[in-house]
Amino acid sequence: MNGKRVFAIFVMLLVLSCLSISTVSAHRLHIVHKLSEIEIEAYFGGGTPCRDANVNVYDKEGNLYIDGVTDDEGKFRFSPKIGMDEYKVVVEAVHMPGHKAETVINLSQEAAGAGAGGMGTEMPLYTRAIAGFGYLIGLAGAAMAYMGWKLKRKYENQ
Amino acid sequence: MVHISDGILSLPVLAAGWAITIALIAVVLWWSKRKGSIVEEIPRLSVITSAFFVASLFHIAIGPTSVHLILNGLMGVTLGILAYPAIFIGLLLQAFLFGHGGITVLGVNTIDMGVPALVAHGIFKVGNKLIPSESITSKAVLGALAGGIAVALAVLLTAGMLCTLGIEYAWAIKALILYHIPIIVIETVIVGSVVAFLARVKPELIGSFGLGGERK
Repeated sequence: MNGKRVFAIFVMLLVLSCLSISTVSAHRLHIVHKLSEIEIEAYFGGGTPCRDANVNVYDKEGNLYIDGVTDDEGKFRFSPKIGMDEYKVVVEAVHMPGHKAETVINLSQEAAGAGAGGMGTEMPLYTRAIAGFGYLIGLAGAAMAYMGWKLKRKYENQ
Repeated sequence: MVHISDGILSLPVLAAGWAITIALIAVVLWWSKRKGSIVEEIPRLSVITSAFFVASLFHIAIGPTSVHLILNGLMGVTLGILAYPAIFIGLLLQAFLFGHGGITVLGVNTIDMGVPALVAHGIFKVGNKLIPSESITSKAVLGALAGGIAVALAVLLTAGMLCTLGIEYAWAIKALILYHIPIIVIETVIVGSVVAFLARVKPELIGSFGLGGERK
């Protein structure tokens, strides 16, 4: 009787230790996966975040999937739906009426491109300002060249 | 903020905006051509248009939003009626390079800023005729007045364009007007001091002085 009990305890201990050993010493690596959120950020040229703007997210067919407003940093997060990899995000500024922008997020293409779309693809502001000056100077230059050519012709005719 | 983005206004409004802008540019160019060569004006136009082009980058944070300078009054005072095509070019560059406004709304935005510039030119020119004094102070005051009125009108015109969208935009229009009061004050000071400065050092840059007069 007593021997049987000791044996039973022994077996139980063995089983328990086997179980615990298998989890501890084998360093089992678990992967749990969860599709987290898509984060969008809305900002004005120059970097001012677009706060409290209305955000509408549409699916491929143009149906409204989710809507909300951006936070103080101009950010809005939403969870993507399994099997749906294209979203159209439309942001409409509330504090600056008349400002609206939209973009298409494609998850299957995004994965290849490190997952950050939009941000950083823009030229820095000062280069764009210089580009604008360039056009205007070019215009002025063309006009001056034309004036010079006209003067020269006038001179030659005399 | 006085730039309206693409995809907000309805198609008839956009089309009407383009039609009016094209017609006004044609009239302005035809009118200026009778007064002298436009080509000779282009270098001067480019200088002032550059100022207009970058002015929209000077943001001033007001409450939850930020507004920027417009300088359409300065355009009107310095360029006369040629301010209208110059504003069109400036807005085109802003749309392409800064994403302010857009291409489909370019016509409407040019009206919103260009028509007040024409009004500013009118105020400055008529004012200078009525007050024939050569004093720089009176010119500066007139310039300031023209500059302030031009911005106020631009804001009202933009508000009017947004009104075509319906009543749900009413509160947004109130916000638009409210947030621009500081800009009106700032531009009044800017245009006043620029006119005072130019009248002293380079009066030929102020086109409203000479249109139809000294200039050729």
